[in-house]
Amino acid sequence: MKKIIIYFSILSCCFISCKKIIEVDTNNAEAQIVIEGKITDKLADQQVLISKTVGYSDKSIFPNVSGAVVMVTDDKGSRYTYIEKSPGVYVQAMRGIPGNTYTLTVTVEGKTYTASSKMPNNVKLDSVGVTVNSFFGNERKIAAAYLVDPANETNFYHFNLYVNNSFSKRIYVSNDRLTNGNKLRTQLYYSEDDDNDTGLKTGDKISVEMECIDSNIFDYWYALSQQSGRGPNQGTTPANPTSNISNNSLGYFSAHTFQKINITVP
Amino acid sequence: MPIKYYLAFFLVPFLFNTASAQNKYTLSGTIRDAATGETLIGATVKVTGATAAGTLTNGYGYFAITQTEGAYTLTVSYTGYLPITKTINLNKDTKLNEELKSVNDLAEVTISANNRKNENVKSAQMGLERVDMKSLNSIPVLLGEKDILKTIQLLPGVKSGGEGNTGFYVRGGAADQNLIILDEAVVYNSSHLLGFFSTFNADAIKDVSLYKGGMPAQYGGRLSSVLDVKMDDGNNKEFKFQGGIGLIASRLKAEGPIVKDRGSFMVSFRRTYIDLFLRASPDSSINGSTLNFYDINAKANYKINDKNTIYISGYFGKDNIGVKDLFENNWGNVTTTIRLNHIFSDRLFSNTSLIYNNYNYTVRLLNDVTNFKATSLVRDFNFKEDFQYFSNKHALRFGLNATHHRISPIDITTSQESQVNSLTQEKRYGLETAAYVSDEWAVTDKLNFLYGIRLAAFSLLGPGNFSQYDPSGNIISTENVASGKFYKNYFNLEPRFSVSYLFNEQNSVKASYNRNTQNIHILTNATSSSPTDQYVLSSNNIKPEIADQVALGYFKNLDENNYEFSGEVYYKWLQNQIDYKNAAQLLANSNVESELLYGSGRAYGLELFFKKKFGKLNGWVGYTLSRTERKFTELNNGNYFPARQDRTHDISVVGIYNLNKRWTFSSSFIYSTGNAVTFPAGKYVINNQTAYYYTERNAGRMPYNMRLDLSATLEGKNRGRFQSSWNFGVYNALGRKNPYSIEFINDPNDPSRTVAEQTSLFGIIPSITWNFKF
Repeated sequence: MKKIIIYFSILSCCFISCKKIIEVDTNNAEAQIVIEGKITDKLADQQVLISKTVGYSDKSIFPNVSGAVVMVTDDKGSRYTYIEKSPGVYVQAMRGIPGNTYTLTVTVEGKTYTASSKMPNNVKLDSVGVTVNSFFGNERKIAAAYLVDPANETNFYHFNLYVNNSFSKRIYVSNDRLTNGNKLRTQLYYSEDDDNDTGLKTGDKISVEMECIDSNIFDYWYALSQQSGRGPNQGTTPANPTSNISNNSLGYFSAHTFQKINITVP
Repeated sequence: MPIKYYLAFFLVPFLFNTASAQNKYTLSGTIRDAATGETLIGATVKVTGATAAGTLTNGYGYFAITQTEGAYTLTVSYTGYLPITKTINLNKDTKLNEELKSVNDLAEVTISANNRKNENVKSAQMGLERVDMKSLNSIPVLLGEKDILKTIQLLPGVKSGGEGNTGFYVRGGAADQNLIILDEAVVYNSSHLLGFFSTFNADAIKDVSLYKGGMPAQYGGRLSSVLDVKMDDGNNKEFKFQGGIGLIASRLKAEGPIVKDRGSFMVSFRRTYIDLFLRASPDSSINGSTLNFYDINAKANYKINDKNTIYISGYFGKDNIGVKDLFENNWGNVTTTIRLNHIFSDRLFSNTSLIYNNYNYTVRLLNDVTNFKATSLVRDFNFKEDFQYFSNKHALRFGLNATHHRISPIDITTSQESQVNSLTQEKRYGLETAAYVSDEWAVTDKLNFLYGIRLAAFSLLGPGNFSQYDPSGNIISTENVASGKFYKNYFNLEPRFSVSYLFNEQNSVKASYNRNTQNIHILTNATSSSPTDQYVLSSNNIKPEIADQVALGYFKNLDENNYEFSGEVYYKWLQNQIDYKNAAQLLANSNVESELLYGSGRAYGLELFFKKKFGKLNGWVGYTLSRTERKFTELNNGNYFPARQDRTHDISVVGIYNLNKRWTFSSSFIYSTGNAVTFPAGKYVINNQTAYYYTERNAGRMPYNMRLDLSATLEGKNRGRFQSSWNFGVYNALGRKNPYSIEFINDPNDPSRTVAEQTSLFGIIPSITWNFKF
């Protein structure tokens, strides 16, 4: 909302804000391990992706890390060993069960990383729709997810939005701290690139994925969302989100439920 | 220095203060402006004869000098006024009220050299900046709205929050560490329109003093600075009106006698009208929007008799921002001060104040499913009793202070169909009490001390549920505390000490040490502050913030006090500073204290100031070299990192040129190193998006800031009682794109590369204002 206020005050004072590309002075850090692991409640190839960071000024080509030993156990005694399907992509076909705690162990380049995540109960994604907002006289169509938040537990949600198969580069994360037990409509503002809010057009094919995540993963996405795309002087002082993976790895390991709904924008 | 030695030291001077055999009498009175009857604060009163002595008038224009019986020459002087010289025969306690004539046209009368004061060299007070309200009118500002907060940011040691940002930073402190008081009432949010303008309407302001260090003991409660703003009392001789019409705001002030020479009133009103332009828009969503602020200052005083004067003053201000069918946001301060000056004896002056102040905001979201109304309030009741005792070589000040705080962090009310739940976050109550004593002691003609001590107590009161948290933020235990019970108490002794040594009338060195503590804190994890920032009190989790500052300075005047030069160095230690955990949720969170981190800080710097006070061309050059750092175990691997407002170099140059009786030109130029910010050192991919990898906190720099502002004032032809003037201004005359924020985006020409995109707010902005007086 702050952004709206500033935008508004700038606009109405007839000030002309302007943007330009500048050089900044920053060091390129050494490559770090990045682990992104997900287990869903759908029977599928569950994936663990292992890659490395590149320097700020390098090309955005992220090296995949091969040769890792990847294993998942759960608190019911099951044990899954992952295989490397393609460089940096480790898979195992299985189905996660809500209520179970999964533990990931990755051994790579002489170091072992571990992380745990408890899969929360599923909350039904009732439907996906399109809402129309008016913003300074422009009507904008925005995707919205509808669900009923259960009153008896604390819930955390993460969404992904695709428009015509293009992934929306925004982080959609919420909790029920102020909305517990209510019918929820969560608006998912689409942005093609990092910043611009672009509306949807009639005929666009959209799909919405909803994940019920645990509280650590909520903190992870929330920290990332507070700084994403905004940079210094807005939002919080940027820092690496707290990962649930040990040994200073970047990334996260999340056991979550998964639902997906596709619609066409009317 | 252990406290008991300090206390012993405190008592020493009075041992020397033994009465002499000769009869002593006290000369006392009030110094006023001859035209308006306004009391003059800080006017110099000197007597010379068999012995010589001098003093300054206090915040109510009152002075008292005690000398042995005899004939004396009395001189009363004040910058911008013609001095008065009189012969008096002091053979009994004498009352003497004097009125000085203002020198309106500096070009016409050159102030004689012996009237130029060297108080800056002589006084033991360090780190004090007084804003001259006359020169304030000619300093160029954004859109021609003259502004004391913008003007103090041109002084060394004071850093602006930047364009579009609330607040200012003094000697490395945070924006919430400034005590901003208007007629003794705390003003929590001193900005309008998100920091573009301040809450202080210059028309209504009489005196502004900023203490960057060496705070006298009567001030307490914030770590970094005291900004003491006093409103005009109003003309007690005749009715006067003044006002101005500018591009975005208009002002009107009325003042006059209630009973001639006994009492007066002043009312001043200001309102912006940007939204009137919005209303003219044919677009329904724009013309239904609001964007305005207004404020009202009012004050009245009445002299009941020679010994008692009563003052009532108040401030009311409000900002409104709203977009039709989307949201509404308003916020504002209210202050009310009732004061009684009582003169117990010629030597003992007292002031009793009852103060009420609050800061509140409301946010309404008007969206169909997430509609809610959130309100928040900080409210203080404050009682102050202050005594000033004037003896031969001492000016003693002592008093008591008690403030009751109530903070309502947030109340959320919603409609039936809203998906947001109603919520009331528990209120917090606190009591701050303080007792202080200080003494300004002229030990010899060359050596002056200003020293004192303040005992500050803070109590967190019930009712409430107070929780303890483990390091990961889980509740260990919660205690339910009954109403009125003192749940947590903190006591702090704050020694304040300054000394000056004069080599001669033109050269001195000064040193100071002071400790300040703070029990009310702003929580904001955004890098810029906003009207919805949250206030919290010290608690079982939050310890009082503590700052210790030492400073050393050299002061020199040249050319018979026409030029002032000062150089000060300072070092500040900060304890119990507050920062936030990753992903901290501060708003509407009753366990907000579980999201906090506690650490320490240090700040040090050099401030150089060179000022030309008189003549056709006057102005100043200020330079600050400084560093301010923080240290938290949980952040930056536990190493010191620069605070956001850490800027190595700050330069400001202000020039005012009086061409002739009608034209005055002025300019201000600022340059500063960019803010300390965190830039990415690497990047990676997470969930199909580029994320940035950060190493050192605040190790990067925003580009530097540089701005030149120009202004010209044309006085209208003399038409008797009616006077008018035009003010023309250009903000950012060089048109430099100063950085507001930086975003990291994919290079539009090569999406596999990352580039930094800077946003700037202001280009060149012209302004015009018409001012009038009658």
